[in-house]
Amino acid sequence: MSATSYISSGLIEAYVSGLASSSEREELELAMAQYPEVAAEYQSCQQDMEQYIIYQSVTPPATLKERLFTQLDTEETARANGTYVDEDAIPETPVRKVLVSSAWRWIAAAAILLLIGSVLLNYNQYTKYNGLQQRFEAMAASNSSIASETNVYRTKLEQAEQNLHIVQDPSMKTVKMPGTKTFPTALATVYWNQTSKEVFVMVNNLPQPTSDKQYQLWAIVNGKPVDMGVFETGTDANLMQKMKSVDNAEMFAVTLEKKGGSPEPTLDQMYVAGKI
Amino acid sequence: MGAALTYTEAELVTGLKARNEKFFGYLYDHYSPALYGIALKVVVDESLAGDVLQEIFLKIWRGIDRYDTEKGRLFTWMVNIARNTAIDTLRSKGHKLGQKVQEIGNNSLIVDQLAVHPSVDHLGLAKVVEQLNKEQRVIIDLAYYKGCTQEEISKILDIPLGTVKTRMRNAIIQLRNILKQM
Repeated sequence: MSATSYISSGLIEAYVSGLASSSEREELELAMAQYPEVAAEYQSCQQDMEQYIIYQSVTPPATLKERLFTQLDTEETARANGTYVDEDAIPETPVRKVLVSSAWRWIAAAAILLLIGSVLLNYNQYTKYNGLQQRFEAMAASNSSIASETNVYRTKLEQAEQNLHIVQDPSMKTVKMPGTKTFPTALATVYWNQTSKEVFVMVNNLPQPTSDKQYQLWAIVNGKPVDMGVFETGTDANLMQKMKSVDNAEMFAVTLEKKGGSPEPTLDQMYVAGKI
Repeated sequence: MGAALTYTEAELVTGLKARNEKFFGYLYDHYSPALYGIALKVVVDESLAGDVLQEIFLKIWRGIDRYDTEKGRLFTWMVNIARNTAIDTLRSKGHKLGQKVQEIGNNSLIVDQLAVHPSVDHLGLAKVVEQLNKEQRVIIDLAYYKGCTQEEISKILDIPLGTVKTRMRNAIIQLRNILKQM
């Protein structure tokens, strides 16, 4: 800051009026040491303030002087005797003590106790809440898994009903496909609707293939294999799986092919086959 | 007051430092009204102000060795002691902010002062009081005579903390302008 900005900052007036904080006083004292014009402005302001103080002079009661000098004589006698105790350095500025009334102390103590109590209660509630929250989450999770299981069962039931409809159709032809020589225990069934030409396959017993392989259904039409699509096996698969439709066929067969199916059947991997 | 001086400040200080009671008596006669004025303005109660004045002069007497002419005028030094002693007394009595305002805001106190103590130059004070607006007088007096902090003044006068110093500056500038005209 420059000298002029110190002068216009209000720091001098704050100092002279006793308003300045200790850091503000230090700041101005440094500025006065640095800039003579700041020091001069301070002197002039200080003298004016003192003039204002002098205007407020009041002559003290005459008895006071007598009392003072009696006290002074006592002290001087003590000093001469060597029994005088000097009380102290005089603080140049009053120490700003924050006085707190006893009522406020009690209120503060009560507030602290309340706060501690509240913290404990909160902690307790929070722990309880956490426990309940965990139990609730566990129950919600089990509830949702029950719901999804229910959904699975419902779907399975619906599929079973559909399958029953398919089988009950009077125009449905059942083609049983027993295992070949290579896989004698294998068994699958084709349901072929003679009216709509729809074809469904049901797995009775086929070994679970590796994940890169799938079973593929073939229809033999005029001595040639026709692709009827691939189907799933295992517990998740529908009991009756809809395949491609075919108008007429002499026989059906199932081979194990690479996942997604092959254009031509791999004959040595034929598991089941059945004539119509 | 200046005209009545028979000692220069340097002579007075030398005499006091030598613990000469004659100089101390002289000091009392010349400066007690100014210092009692401070005590009275701060603590208000006359009997308490009397005790404070005694304490002030004892501190001056005991502490005269610590007074350094380099650091400022003797009067400035004594005024500081007076203000600090009085404000410390006020604080030890547990004065509340509300009381401070009431006392300072009370014009009748000044009127009483003028009526009861006609001995000193009250013409000057009357002029100052007349020309300084109430808020300006109150802000100076709260800081100087009640030792209020900027925060306290901000609360008492209900003005933003940041404007306290500016208002103080304006008040003192106004005070100095009035003094210049007298």
